[in-house]
Amino acid sequence: MPAAAIGRGGAGRPGPSPGARAGWALALLAALLPPAAAAGAPPVSAGAGERLYRLGLLPSGRPLRGEREGGAGVDGPDAACATCHRRSGLGSWEGQTVIPPIIGRYLFRPGARNVEDVNLPHVQGYVPHREPYTDASLARAIREGRDREGRRLGILMPRYRLDAATMASLIAYLKRLTVGPVPGVTSDTLHFATVVTPDADPVARRGMLDVLEQFFADKNGGYRGESPPLRSPRGVMYRVNRKWQLHVWVLSGPPETWERQLLDRLAREPVFAVVSGIGGATWAPVHRFCEHAAVPCLLPNVDLPVVAEQDFYPIYFSKGVLLEAQLVARQLQAGGPALRRVVQVFRKGDVGEGAARALQAQLAATGLEGVARAVGSGPAGPALAAALAGTGAGDAVVLWLRPGDLKALPAPPPGSAVYLSGLMGKLEEAPLPAAWRGIARMTYPFDLPEQRRVRMNFPLGWFSVQHIPVVDERVQTDTYLACVILSETLGHMLDSFVRDYLVERVEAMLSHRLVNGYYPRLGLAPGQRFASKGGYVVHFAQPTGARLLPDTGWVAP
Amino acid sequence: MRAPRKIAAALAAAGLLASLPAQARAEEAADPHAHHHQMMMSMKRATRSTADYALPAIDLVRDDGKTVSLPAELDDGKPVVLNFIFTTCTTICPMMTQVFARLQERLGPERDRVHMVSISIDPEQDTPARLAAYARKFHAGPQWRYYTGSTEASVAAQRAFDVYRGDKMDHTPVTFLRAAPGRRWVRIDGFASADELAEALHELVAAR
Repeated sequence: MPAAAIGRGGAGRPGPSPGARAGWALALLAALLPPAAAAGAPPVSAGAGERLYRLGLLPSGRPLRGEREGGAGVDGPDAACATCHRRSGLGSWEGQTVIPPIIGRYLFRPGARNVEDVNLPHVQGYVPHREPYTDASLARAIREGRDREGRRLGILMPRYRLDAATMASLIAYLKRLTVGPVPGVTSDTLHFATVVTPDADPVARRGMLDVLEQFFADKNGGYRGESPPLRSPRGVMYRVNRKWQLHVWVLSGPPETWERQLLDRLAREPVFAVVSGIGGATWAPVHRFCEHAAVPCLLPNVDLPVVAEQDFYPIYFSKGVLLEAQLVARQLQAGGPALRRVVQVFRKGDVGEGAARALQAQLAATGLEGVARAVGSGPAGPALAAALAGTGAGDAVVLWLRPGDLKALPAPPPGSAVYLSGLMGKLEEAPLPAAWRGIARMTYPFDLPEQRRVRMNFPLGWFSVQHIPVVDERVQTDTYLACVILSETLGHMLDSFVRDYLVERVEAMLSHRLVNGYYPRLGLAPGQRFASKGGYVVHFAQPTGARLLPDTGWVAP
Repeated sequence: MRAPRKIAAALAAAGLLASLPAQARAEEAADPHAHHHQMMMSMKRATRSTADYALPAIDLVRDDGKTVSLPAELDDGKPVVLNFIFTTCTTICPMMTQVFARLQERLGPERDRVHMVSISIDPEQDTPARLAAYARKFHAGPQWRYYTGSTEASVAAQRAFDVYRGDKMDHTPVTFLRAAPGRRWVRIDGFASADELAEALHELVAAR
């Protein structure tokens, strides 16, 4: 199908307005209506191409089918182009298998190196010095598995029997995929935002902003003005120097208004991505913003993230308190016949409420009786005593409480097992009364202090050199780690500043990192949105002090 | 007289070059990514070798949640076909898994006399429940089991078969076959087809 026939035929058929000259109206119709549509076949549309590309859905709504040698076919989402070539279209690689970029910008250009075109970013798998594809040769490649020179494509590339209109829709989509200027990227500056919710802990918030501001200042320390691209005999590598600019987006008012506020900020201050950030009871509106506005939101300080791994743009360190709920559930399932009931205690509106709900759902599947009790208003001591009333032998008590409540706990219920959220209680600094310390088991979704000590020299040394007061070691370490991961990933992307590609590169690179602050290891992949997946259950070794002993190994529930 | 002969020789050489497979062209030799394409080509030609692998005494967790010993699981007396995969892998694992799915189809009733083994190289993500769902997606029969476990155990298994490449994103397609406990392993690097695997399996069993 000739390129001229590819238009937005699916978007509607405008008729000539009464005042329009007939010739003009005819030309418009000719441009907008592909011949196939006029003949009654499905119209060509980049939208249909997008559904095919991303979801593996044909215009008819039926699943796409691709054939491979040896009869191993693929269907539906597995057959979608994005599965291998990724949402950005810039390709990927796995071991020695390179999946080339397939956006129009690479396919339809003469095979120049980027020496001859400095605006062409370098991506793995782009082969310079090749004839450009035409619509016809690309259609042949997709249908018959032969490239523009007639050679067979890689063994992983399926062959797709697409009709002319569907093929034209797909090619139209490839031509518009990942083109145009990227928001938040200029020739000398990369703009990033961080998000602060009004209910974030003020001390942790200050600590996080200290780290971010210093990291950005440090990053810009070597900036000497706009530099020419770095060249090598093989091509233009990248621009060596770009400033990083941080925009701190402080939200206000109720959570229902946050998404709107963020969209307004984004319109006023376009950013390439959101890095770190800090939340309180809910992060859901920020998560929605990231997904709806297609902005990567990398590694915020959030204890109750949104579990929606089919979403693309938000990436978290871990499931936070929801991971702790899974760790507790696992322990309780091994609790033995003496365990008859699980009593959870939480504050309404805090992240523990979500964790308690998640644990309650997991208990339902095991047949264990579960009770979730919110701590009432008024002085903490009596309110906590009321929440714990009637508990005793045969019960497991699960505390989703902050340090202030932990300090005020009454005498522990006799004979019951006790679990405690390490994330909410401040880990080894949890101010548990002496009588609770001896019996409490704490979920610990991080590496143990002694095992991470050497690793922690990196962030702690940096804080010390930069004169950053350590007010919340974990939040500040995670913030530093988020910045380092962003910086490394951008370094590997060279000048291919594409938001989707940023997420894809973080996915692919994260598990190569060996030094990860509080975490023994991090890793992602397509469809994985929580980088650290496990934790320990621990107890205090002594009546005082922060020494912990593990009850379990590292468990990924 | 010598010069024209040289030219003729050069032309002949050029003609020869033109008839060679694509990877030998000078243009590609200058291409920094040519090796990738050659890799892609070479993957089609799966290469076969044999090796003795010492199985480490490690525990893995099967897709039904049961903790099992790797050596005991592989030494169940049946011929073994084994690979390493992870369920969120989008490129080579689905292909390898499809080949296994076709292999069990091709084996038909014979399949129950074979033990097919897929070990996760992303064990923290690939819980037994996720593996079981993945197995269902590819219609794995009772003879085809998936295994996970601790990261250390998965790495130990990968090292034992010399496929550990440091990270899940660096893995390569490899399939292993063994006729019976104590026999040598056949190692197939690259994408072997279901027919090739079935053939290799029959050869191994016939020679047993």
